[in-house]
Amino acid sequence: MSDLALQARLEGKEGHLRRRRAVNVVMEAAATAGAVVAVGVLALVIGSVIVKGAGAFGLDLLIHSEVPFGEKGGGVANAIVGTGLLILLATAFAVPIGLLVALYTHEFAPPRIANGLRFVLDVLNGVPTIVTGILVFSLLVVGSGQTAYAGGIALAIIMLPIVARSAQEVLALVPRPIREGGLALGLPRWKVLLRIVLPGAAGGILTGVLLAVARVAGETAPLLFTCSVFAQGISINPGHAVASLPLRIFQLAEGNSPEEHNEAWAAALLLILFVLALNFVARYLYARTRSRVGL
Amino acid sequence: MSARPPIKPPAAADREPVREGGTAAIRDGFRKAPTVRLRGLRAFYGDQEGLKGIDLDFEANQITAVIGPSGCGKSTLIRCINRMHEELPGARSEGRVLLDDLNLYDPAIDVIAVRRAVGMVFQRPNPFLTMSIFDNVAAGPKLSGVPKRHLPEIVERSLRDAGLWEEVKDRLGAPAHALSGGQQQRLCIARSLAVDPLVLLLDEPCSALDPTATLKIEDRLGDLKRRVTIVIVTHNMQQAARVADRTAFLLDGELVEAGPTAEIFTKPRDRRTEEYVTGKFG
Repeated sequence: MSDLALQARLEGKEGHLRRRRAVNVVMEAAATAGAVVAVGVLALVIGSVIVKGAGAFGLDLLIHSEVPFGEKGGGVANAIVGTGLLILLATAFAVPIGLLVALYTHEFAPPRIANGLRFVLDVLNGVPTIVTGILVFSLLVVGSGQTAYAGGIALAIIMLPIVARSAQEVLALVPRPIREGGLALGLPRWKVLLRIVLPGAAGGILTGVLLAVARVAGETAPLLFTCSVFAQGISINPGHAVASLPLRIFQLAEGNSPEEHNEAWAAALLLILFVLALNFVARYLYARTRSRVGL
Repeated sequence: MSARPPIKPPAAADREPVREGGTAAIRDGFRKAPTVRLRGLRAFYGDQEGLKGIDLDFEANQITAVIGPSGCGKSTLIRCINRMHEELPGARSEGRVLLDDLNLYDPAIDVIAVRRAVGMVFQRPNPFLTMSIFDNVAAGPKLSGVPKRHLPEIVERSLRDAGLWEEVKDRLGAPAHALSGGQQQRLCIARSLAVDPLVLLLDEPCSALDPTATLKIEDRLGDLKRRVTIVIVTHNMQQAARVADRTAFLLDGELVEAGPTAEIFTKPRDRRTEEYVTGKFG
């Protein structure tokens, strides 16, 4: 090979090399663009909500309940309290069951059943939430009316697979020798689980719970049939339907005055800030758990 | 927990015996450390036979080293003594393991009681990372229902026996992961001793430690054997020679020979033992 030809190769002037480089550049650009789009969408959502919601956002929004039709002012205090109650109920139902499911699949189930259960949880996670809402409606609402219980249970069904799957992942992080250390001390398996394995995994389990809460905090569909006909005042009676932020946003957005639309944006801003905060706390707790179990 | 009042050494009669489940049945039946006898012990992983019928005695109040190349079944053997072997999926064992004359594989015997009578220290230090030094050592008795007021005394005694007390007495509340590897392993020894076992099993306890840390552990074993029967699995022939009264050589799941350590190392009866201890294989 002549020096010139070698130089041409090294400089990539030969046809196939040049094409390879071009493909490389195109692929890298496409992948980068994809990443930019993902970040851009989030930035757009948060940015537009902030821009449009900031005007009506303020103390008045947080401390006043909605006002009767036609009156000015009012806020979403009843929806904040209602969403709080719904989340509380959903967490109370979903977390104990989710934890037990995770403990069963990870600690007691034979491998085949454990795999099957993981699959079932993934399927449950994929069930459209409107279907969950209709199911709970047909079981709990028909004949007895809407309640916060029904809404909480609908949300709990959505939380359950998230809590259970994340708890499984965290339990898998606790090293086997730690369990063996407990068993070798002559401790019953359930005590090893409750007193040694779970405390080590607590932060990570809480992470999963927070992410699940973040997920259901904004769910609207499951509440439509189960907990949507609510009074305008603050209510913490789980036997009645309570207001919720997502449904209130929906109502306000359907209204026809600019004030209502502004209030909808402000409520959306509140919801998104709440969800973002949960995500940040969850990340922090997860990092802490990983370091605590020695990873 | 770091500012505990000084503890006066209590009279032995002060301590209430640990009574829960079948524990009392094993612990109270012995006034001194027992001889551990293996009779026809076979262990399986699924279809694979890890131990092919072992007959072997671990003499009371002696240190017996179990040596042999990787995969010969050393760890399996001691994990059969405290019935940890059966914790692995697909694993089972048959035959008999006797403490003097008590068969630990008798269906009437509770596995929990077996593990309180037979303590174990693992290859890699495995302290409970979310707990303090104090809570690590106290974990066994505390979670078995020993009254709280006895814990400080049990913790101090166990840490002294493990040779760690002087290094940690001022920071018992510190997290266990703040300790060095060698200290963590001594913490694990203290944790095992805290449930007052009759037998102590050590599964290559020093393989992850440096020579200084290793010596500190070996140093304690001589004292400990006055109270417990000790079985130590080791890869390290020098360690076996240093600490063990007796040595057993295992190969491919079978016992090749066992006897006083000096004999095994200087005039073994079996050619395979000689080749192994002189470094021809393994």
